[in-house]
Amino acid sequence: MKRFPVKMRTVAMLVVILPLLALFVYVALRSGPLAPVPVTVTTIENRSISPALFGIGTIEARYTYQIGPTFAGRVKHLKVQVGDVVRAGQVLGEMDPVDLDERIRAQDAAFKRAEAQLSEAQARQAYAQTQSQRYDALLAVRSISEEIVATKKHELMVARASLNAAREESVRIRSEREALVAQRQNLFMVAPVDGLVVLRNAEPGTTLVAGQVVVELIDPKSLWVNTRFDQIHARGLAADLSAHIVLRSRVGEAETGRVLRIEPLADAVTEETLVKVVFDQLPVPLPPIGELAEVTVALPALPAGPVLPNAAIQHLDGKLGVWQIKNGDLHFTPVTLGTADLAGQVQVREGLKVGDQVVVYSATALAPRSRIDIVKQIPGVTR
Amino acid sequence: MISLAGRDIMHAWGKFVFTGVGLGLLIGITLSMAGIYRGMVDDAKALLDNSGADLWVVQQDTLGPYAEPSSIYDDVWRGVRGMPGVARTANVTYLTMQVRQGGRDVRTMVTGITAGEPGTPGWPPYLVAGRQMTRGHYEAVADIASGFKLGDHLQIRRNHYTVVGLTRRMVSSGGDPMIFIPLKDAQEAQFLKDNDAIRQQRLRTAANPAFNRPQVPGLLDAVIASQSINPYVNAVLVQVDSNHSAEEVAESIRRWKRLTVYTRDQMEEILVGKLIATSARQIFMFLVILSVVSAAIVAFIIYTLTLGKIREIAVLKLIGTRNRTIVALIMQQSIALGLIGFVVGKITATLLMAPIFPKYVLLEPLDSVMAFVAVVVICILASIIAIRAALKIDPAEAIGG
Amino acid sequence: MAGKGIHIEGLKKRYGSGDTAVDALIGVDMQVAPGEVVGLVGPSGSGKSTLLKCLGAVIEPTAGRMTLGDLVIYDGGWKVKDLRALRRDKIGFIFQAPYLIPFLDVTDNVALLPMLAGKPNAESRKLAMELLQALDVEPRAKAMPSQLSGGEQQRVAIARGLVNRPPVILADEPTAPLDSERALAVIRILNDMARKFETAIIVVTHDEKIMPTFKRIYHIRDGVTYEEAGEGREFE
Repeated sequence: MKRFPVKMRTVAMLVVILPLLALFVYVALRSGPLAPVPVTVTTIENRSISPALFGIGTIEARYTYQIGPTFAGRVKHLKVQVGDVVRAGQVLGEMDPVDLDERIRAQDAAFKRAEAQLSEAQARQAYAQTQSQRYDALLAVRSISEEIVATKKHELMVARASLNAAREESVRIRSEREALVAQRQNLFMVAPVDGLVVLRNAEPGTTLVAGQVVVELIDPKSLWVNTRFDQIHARGLAADLSAHIVLRSRVGEAETGRVLRIEPLADAVTEETLVKVVFDQLPVPLPPIGELAEVTVALPALPAGPVLPNAAIQHLDGKLGVWQIKNGDLHFTPVTLGTADLAGQVQVREGLKVGDQVVVYSATALAPRSRIDIVKQIPGVTR
Repeated sequence: MISLAGRDIMHAWGKFVFTGVGLGLLIGITLSMAGIYRGMVDDAKALLDNSGADLWVVQQDTLGPYAEPSSIYDDVWRGVRGMPGVARTANVTYLTMQVRQGGRDVRTMVTGITAGEPGTPGWPPYLVAGRQMTRGHYEAVADIASGFKLGDHLQIRRNHYTVVGLTRRMVSSGGDPMIFIPLKDAQEAQFLKDNDAIRQQRLRTAANPAFNRPQVPGLLDAVIASQSINPYVNAVLVQVDSNHSAEEVAESIRRWKRLTVYTRDQMEEILVGKLIATSARQIFMFLVILSVVSAAIVAFIIYTLTLGKIREIAVLKLIGTRNRTIVALIMQQSIALGLIGFVVGKITATLLMAPIFPKYVLLEPLDSVMAFVAVVVICILASIIAIRAALKIDPAEAIGG
Repeated sequence: MAGKGIHIEGLKKRYGSGDTAVDALIGVDMQVAPGEVVGLVGPSGSGKSTLLKCLGAVIEPTAGRMTLGDLVIYDGGWKVKDLRALRRDKIGFIFQAPYLIPFLDVTDNVALLPMLAGKPNAESRKLAMELLQALDVEPRAKAMPSQLSGGEQQRVAIARGLVNRPPVILADEPTAPLDSERALAVIRILNDMARKFETAIIVVTHDEKIMPTFKRIYHIRDGVTYEEAGEGREFE
């Protein structure tokens, strides 16, 4: 009993000091740079992957018709609004003819005058003809002098020329009128095809220069997606590959389509390849022109081969490779990679075989001498 | 001979351990402070390591891209790629911004990485979950410190990104978690204004008669289109092939491309020497103050303990104890206190403090060793006052009268 | 008597110098034989404490001569270089309060002195146990001082004073805090020990209870000692 307090104290001291020391040793060895690196590993599988390419594009119409006046002028009236469906030949609007109608009327009057002049010339010519014939007969009986006959013949020729002139004048005036009428017709803006009005740039009264666009029509059946693929991610693109199109306004709904053509001209500035993708079936309602769309083009599935998750790929001393685990030790194995799919699986061409164990995730960057601790999941990652 | 110090500690070990724990918390804070400094340096180094670059090509006469803004045309890399000794180049953009996810936003450094395959400079060198990006748009790899999870949808400017991979220790020099997104999206994010601003800019452009000329239809559209593209990146990351030295390649790029180029060493100098220099000095001052405070506390505790033993020391002296033995008694107690404090401090710093600090705390083993030596030295110095007091005690005091 | 016990002749002690000088001891002559227990009695300010401190070699006298056995320790100046070793090996101290070291157990409190003298721990503890046995506190050998009664503490203190077998023991009011029964018990122990270990013991006291036990008493008054025969009453 007398010694008990001493023992008690010793025990209590051990209870405090020993865990403290144990904790200290644990802390010194298991945390900080001396601690082993938690890693997760995977086994190389033999799998077939279906690579796909991902690009973004905008909805565009294949055929766009821009309609405007060919002369400078003022808009008289514009009958269509954006969204109207129009037929081929339908008058969409008219430019102000200004004095054109008056000029046509003037030409009408001029024509009539020309007709009158023509009648007069005909009359003169008929009279001159008759006179000439009569004097010819008189000359034959020698009742008049030859000089008079010559005079009459001259008069006849003059009358004929006048008639010709009057006739041509009449043609001229008629043609001029027809030209004016044609011009008048040209002031009408007419739909060249069946289409949808997408743009109405001017209101009645607006003054326009020649060639300015007043109304833009598209052919709604010709919508396509003008898609841009980064050139790095464009390998394997070809016409007629099937594609999934997700519109920005309709995330979650994928439309199907196919690659129509790959543009022969790429965008040199943005380093992108341009591809036209058409819808198999036009979405209803029609998406607005210019809407952003994500396009995924599926490439044909590849034959099965060793496949690796792309998270395992590391870069060491200028070489691509993976950290392979051989007999519990780390080795950096350089690999040659093949095609990848969008889910992050990459084919391995050289360097690894099916069944090899490689590090996928690690808590810190690995080095050849790292100590590792294989775990199911890297600590701190929550799902 | 028995250890008087040991016996004294054993006699009042509870008090002693409690005092040591208190001191330990203080030492823990000191260690954490050192850890914060190391963490800042490590953040800077991690940023450089993770970029995987040997050279940084930036705008002329800037300290970019981390310490100063830098912008160069995004096709500069083509010229750089052609220089002898360059093995790989990659454009990169860095933009510190708030990234929104659901109802919260997180301060991050959004990094635009050039399209390619893992291992391209600028790409996250390793992941802790998920996969690397495979699409050229709208995918993101986020650092785990951002709190984002796989499958989260982030909003950066007006686009939504899906988190496909998670990294660890990918931070900016300021400790903000990095979010990797494809370069083209990042260029857009860096330059793209909000919709109102775009609209206002369009209106402003349209109101300018120089751009809005009726005689030239289409000019306005062309001007507006040219206003909303961003052909810039912040830097070009360069990897040098093994036959050339980085400095040699850097020099030829500087000379022929007339751009500013930094090597890894220079970049580290910029980040550690310039960017975090003030913070580092501040932490160093804290370290000094905490060391002084610790020393003062140890000195005070030991002095108090010694004063409480004046009579015993007088008796010890009277019965013939040597000064050496009494000095050893005090100094050993001081060192023992320091050791308890150090052990407790190391444990608390590692297990309690480091995880709760928002910034990365790196506790280097070498720092711990240095701290250990410092604690012992400080304890020895702190015991000097108490030793002087003890030596002054007159053995005659033990004799009454 | 010469060559044994403690011998003091004409010891003087002056504090300060010049006009402010105070003579605490003017002429002290004492001799105590081995095995003898003498009393030293005097009122406050008589120079009792100063004498004790001089005897204990913690302050230096001004003049006179002190001999411990064959060893001259003071003769107008210290004749021994290491006063600590002298105190440790030649003089035992017993105080008014036991002044045990609170963080050492009873054995080690006693064994500390031989340890300080450089003896191995085991041997020191053996010496300590012998004395504890002699003083009947052996059952408490492992206890801490705070767990002992006052009498037990005082006995441990006596054991500590004796453990190095010093030729002289200075006991400063060893019975002051004790009732008369215990006080007498302490004096009996001192007498027993003095006889047993051939030690000269000087007991400084003004305790009337124990006064009759001394055979000889030194009175000190104004720095001068006067010898007087005591009753020397034996214990039953």
